[in-house]
Amino acid sequence: MTSTAMNAAAGTAPALEMHEVTKVYGEGENAITALASATISIGSNEMVALVGPSGSGKTTLLSIAGGLLAPTSGQVIVGGRDISHASPTELTEVRRNTVGFVFQSVNLVPFLTARENLLLVDELRGSRGKQSKARADRLLDELGLSKRLHNLPSQLSGGERQRVAIGRALMNEPALVLFDEPTSALDTQLGEQVMELIQSEVKGRGTAAIIITHDSRMTHWCDRTVRILDGRLQSDELATAG
Amino acid sequence: MFLALREIQRAKVRFILLVLAIGLLVFLVLFQIGLRDGLIGQFIGALRHQSAPVVVFDVQARKNIEGSRIDAGTQAALAQVSGVGRIGRLGESTFTVSNAVSRARATPKDQLVDAVLFGYEVTGPAAGLGAPTTLSKGHMPAGINEAVASERNRADGFDIGDVIHIEPGGADITVVGLAADINYSVSPTLFVSWDTFEAAKRVRNPDATAVLPSVMAVEPAAGVSVGVLVANLAAVPGVVPLSRADAVAQSPGVASVSQSLNTVIGLLVITALMVIGLFILILTVQKSASLTLMRAIGAHRRTLALTLVLQTTVVVLAGVIVGGAMMAAISPLLNSIGVSFDLVQLLVVGAGAIVVGWVGSLGAVLRVLRIEPINATVPQGMLR
Repeated sequence: MTSTAMNAAAGTAPALEMHEVTKVYGEGENAITALASATISIGSNEMVALVGPSGSGKTTLLSIAGGLLAPTSGQVIVGGRDISHASPTELTEVRRNTVGFVFQSVNLVPFLTARENLLLVDELRGSRGKQSKARADRLLDELGLSKRLHNLPSQLSGGERQRVAIGRALMNEPALVLFDEPTSALDTQLGEQVMELIQSEVKGRGTAAIIITHDSRMTHWCDRTVRILDGRLQSDELATAG
Repeated sequence: MFLALREIQRAKVRFILLVLAIGLLVFLVLFQIGLRDGLIGQFIGALRHQSAPVVVFDVQARKNIEGSRIDAGTQAALAQVSGVGRIGRLGESTFTVSNAVSRARATPKDQLVDAVLFGYEVTGPAAGLGAPTTLSKGHMPAGINEAVASERNRADGFDIGDVIHIEPGGADITVVGLAADINYSVSPTLFVSWDTFEAAKRVRNPDATAVLPSVMAVEPAAGVSVGVLVANLAAVPGVVPLSRADAVAQSPGVASVSQSLNTVIGLLVITALMVIGLFILILTVQKSASLTLMRAIGAHRRTLALTLVLQTTVVVLAGVIVGGAMMAAISPLLNSIGVSFDLVQLLVVGAGAIVVGWVGSLGAVLRVLRIEPINATVPQGMLR
């Protein structure tokens, strides 16, 4: 089944549309195609697992979808906004307002508490005050961190830090959340717990998500799995019920 | 603001160390400036704080008031120069004096000290020209044998009411006023009427046919600038007219003292630049992963750069307060060498320190501006 067909089946407008997107690094003989004619559509309430070996183009696809990178060619629409030719300033705005990120390594600012890491998102958007604090507290409560509001990242466990990062990614109420190997640093049990939490939070908010993972045991939490190899999207399959 | 203050709050020790380092540098700059001004003030304070806007030297004296004499012919020629409003005699000479007859305190009868007398016109058309401008207590001399003394020497027998005896066998001069920063050649200094000065000179040299003024004190006519007046006076042969500020700056020894201490001050400013710059740069390198993350989640370059500038400003301001407090606390102990705490000076140094801080943080700001958000997808160990 194609992604477009699945979106139609789900009856939702896409949170992300990529059409014939190519990314080439370098020029001439040194040119490397990291992503080749990638076409994908992700519905507004859809969780997609993106799997593939190292160097296959997963992170490049994620970066283009999140406005961290500009494509060499092709069309990218995030949350209904075409960012294919957006300026760096416009991409910054898209990242601030439309997309949420959970990165593989650094996710939290070490000198801010769990709560402040969430409030930072609103601070960057120029909105602060009681509503922001209430939303941050509610998110952290949902993530089981209500007693860790005032702890610094160094005072949290790996799983707790990852949960704070998830809260931070959801703080701006994004159309699309991008997770880069969110469970790679966690053991299987903790990984399952984090994936369950991601599914619960993402689905509960009607938000779309792309999750890069090496761990095939985690893909069942997603609606479908997209495979990528040598910069080309290979297959698109529905997940079996988790 | 949120980010800048939170980081300072969470890394108190390292920021306090920087504040103390900046505070120490600010204190040293204030001390050196105070020392420079104090030394120069004690050498030529009398010239700096006399009322005549223009001073005319004998060309042979090389701008040294002690070696300058203006003869009668030259005095007359100067008075005829276009643009001259008022012109009066200003004499300078060092005398041995005793304050054995002091009424204010008991002092040894044989205590002899050198004191400098400045004689200026107290009466006549040029009355008050060359008088001290920093009277802090008492009044100006109204006639013969009255003096305004240098405030710094009030405890040495030069307080109001003290009587200074010109040795040997000269007049008794009563101190009727005190003025700040009017020392000359680091000696007790007395501003007296021209008649008192002339009488003192005649006691020392009874055979002198005339007592000549050291320099002429000149005031421009209404509507004439000091610069024009100086240029007009320069046409008179055998004289060097200088504005008051130039007369101070070009006094023998002043330039070399200023240059030496200004060099030290310059080195301190460079040190401050390096300390602030390196500290902020190290902090920026240490937190580059966090800055990259913030760029990735939507922070503008300018937001992060402004955070850095704000942090620098807060830290430098705190350093200026610490340095100013140190100077205020220690300055009473340094009065003997002319160093004092000056709030205006602190504000000027503080403003300069903030500019130095901004310049120092430029390297870190440029580094922040170069941060690419895509690096947030790179594992931390691979970030450079």
